[in-house]
Amino acid sequence: MDRETRDMLLETAERFFTERCGRDVINGVEKGVWPEDLWRDIEEMGLPLIAVPEDKGGAGGTLLDMLALLRVAASHAVPVPLAETALANLLVAAADGEPKPGPTALALGSLTLTGGRVNGKVERVPFAGVADRFVVVAGQGLAVVPSGNARIDATPSHAGEPYGTVRFDNAVAEYSAASPVNAERAFELAAVMRAMQMAGAADRVLATVVEYCKQRVQFGRPISTFQAIQQMLAELTSCVAATIASAEAAARDADEGGLPTGGSFSIAAAKSQGSEFAQRINAIAHQSMGAMGFTHEHVLHHYTRRLWVWRRDFGSETFWGAKIGAAYAKAGPDALWASLSGSKYAA
Amino acid sequence: MSIPKLEFPPFHLPPEAEALRVDVRAFLKETLPLVATEDRFPSWNTRSPEFSRALGRKGWIGITWPKQYGGSEKSFLERYVVTEELLGNGAPAGAHWVADRQSGPLLLRFGSEEQRQAILPRITAGECYFSIGMSEPDSGSDLASVRTRAEPVPGGFRVNGTKVWTSGAHHNHYCIALVRTSGQHGDRHKGLSQLLVDLKTPNVTIRPIINLAGRHDWNEVTFNDAFIPESCLIGNEGDGWLQVTSELAFERSGPERFMQNFYVLRELVRVLGRQPAKRASAVLGRLIARLWTLRQMSVAVAGMMQGGKSPAIEAALVKDLGTIYQQDLPEVARTIAESDATTEEDMADFLDVAQYATMIAPSYTIQGGTTQVLRGIVARGLGLR
Repeated sequence: MDRETRDMLLETAERFFTERCGRDVINGVEKGVWPEDLWRDIEEMGLPLIAVPEDKGGAGGTLLDMLALLRVAASHAVPVPLAETALANLLVAAADGEPKPGPTALALGSLTLTGGRVNGKVERVPFAGVADRFVVVAGQGLAVVPSGNARIDATPSHAGEPYGTVRFDNAVAEYSAASPVNAERAFELAAVMRAMQMAGAADRVLATVVEYCKQRVQFGRPISTFQAIQQMLAELTSCVAATIASAEAAARDADEGGLPTGGSFSIAAAKSQGSEFAQRINAIAHQSMGAMGFTHEHVLHHYTRRLWVWRRDFGSETFWGAKIGAAYAKAGPDALWASLSGSKYAA
Repeated sequence: MSIPKLEFPPFHLPPEAEALRVDVRAFLKETLPLVATEDRFPSWNTRSPEFSRALGRKGWIGITWPKQYGGSEKSFLERYVVTEELLGNGAPAGAHWVADRQSGPLLLRFGSEEQRQAILPRITAGECYFSIGMSEPDSGSDLASVRTRAEPVPGGFRVNGTKVWTSGAHHNHYCIALVRTSGQHGDRHKGLSQLLVDLKTPNVTIRPIINLAGRHDWNEVTFNDAFIPESCLIGNEGDGWLQVTSELAFERSGPERFMQNFYVLRELVRVLGRQPAKRASAVLGRLIARLWTLRQMSVAVAGMMQGGKSPAIEAALVKDLGTIYQQDLPEVARTIAESDATTEEDMADFLDVAQYATMIAPSYTIQGGTTQVLRGIVARGLGLR
């Protein structure tokens, strides 16, 4: 997808989400109302197929195109599994499968796949409660399992999205094949996806808080004119900037390095960074907006709660930090600078 | 939304810069073991004229400047690579650092032809060192309030006043002093000028100011009816404020804002051993992830600058995040080492390093613009003031 086409698509998506993902839709999902019309229109626009090759009915976009779209979607807290489905479709197509319509969830964890049957359990699977099917990557294989063949215990996330524990007990796959993306890599791709979504949400938190502080009048003037608030918002800006910059750099490295291996270290670092700063971003945002931002009526929590959930999805800062730390410790102090400046686990 | 879009477009350092990195690394590997310094962990403020001259011979000081002044006419991005390699490898680059980073570029932009010819080739040779003459006893963050007065007299200026926190003035050759050449103290940005001051000038007195760690880096520089020739005025009389703010931009955006105490991270890796426990690994990895992010942001800023933009807000954000990271680093490293260092001997050694780094750390969020001043700049960028 050339730059111009992507920018046009992102603008269209931005307008669409602004119009269609209002507070009521997001709150509805939290109450268990599946936004059928929204999902149907998202599919009609072809968004879940953005990174699927044209000969398989997709838009022929790259991983980076997909991640850019998901950042935009996250800045509207789109309460359907667009991200999960888009990545699942990319993975299915890469494993020579045909992506199908319908909301899809990613089951990535300690699973086994043999003879077209899947075994194992994955906790906190995003959108498990509404998915038509699960895309599983186990070892070097990929499987598509209809949700009817799995056991799902719905446990909504703290952001009110339909997460759940998924058990596969000799579950029959409707499609299985060797995958160029192994299980570990699929988890990395999901991590960079979440990192970009966190960038989108963090950006929206900043915009929301700055707008609010410019309008909220106390002591006879907008609170944004108080130095105490200005200092807080500047710190918020730096945390949001770090979240955006790390995610964008990881997305670039993942894309340029190729689907099977690209940008492994950058992804780990970006997800660690984004997850670590989520707390500071949310703390400052809520402090700046006082009681208003703590209400369910205000939209701020659509973004702050997602940041709190997403920082744990597909590896928290502890998970990715430990992975980086173990590799750097193993390589020793003399390799530190060469590895870091090369965005690699070990030089 | 009315706030400006916050973007740090990912940027690749170009192949010529990466090629230069290989050369710089090879040079440092060969040279550093031969350079004796007083510091156990040399950094940008450890002085070694011997090292600076060796670097100058390679053409890596004033690397972006025109060849006629001894420069190499390379890009800002190649300079970036040299800078970060010096920091990443703990090179004692303190003698020439300020001259290379800001004094030389200032003279190149605003100085007279005579000043450029007299000074720039000596800087690029690694032989001529500069101090910053901005702060005064009553003038820190509020730089426009400087009181040092340069009164026009036949053939030059008679200067009276005091500059403080003047790093390296007891070793260096010159200082670029921000002074009031006209108007009154309350005139703020108007009537300020910059003077090129030879630190050996009669009636210029240099006294040490010892910092809390017992080091003599700083000085007090007093002008007592010192005569500075007219030929030492930099740029136009009265343009000092404009010039000094452009100088500050050079001072804020570089990798020294997050790699000053890189040795702490390096020592932490050493002291944790090759197979730390998961908790220690996670702490180490999170620190590495933060540093990696800062580098991505800083490289993105360098890319924007190379592309002709002036990302002042973005540079302020990098300094804010980077200096706070540098303050967190010794503290986080100390606490994890206390529980997870591999041997007691290593531990004692590391605590010594961490303790020293902790004492130095308050300076990071003060020098080159305090955190609060930088956040004021960011707040203005957000349209809050």
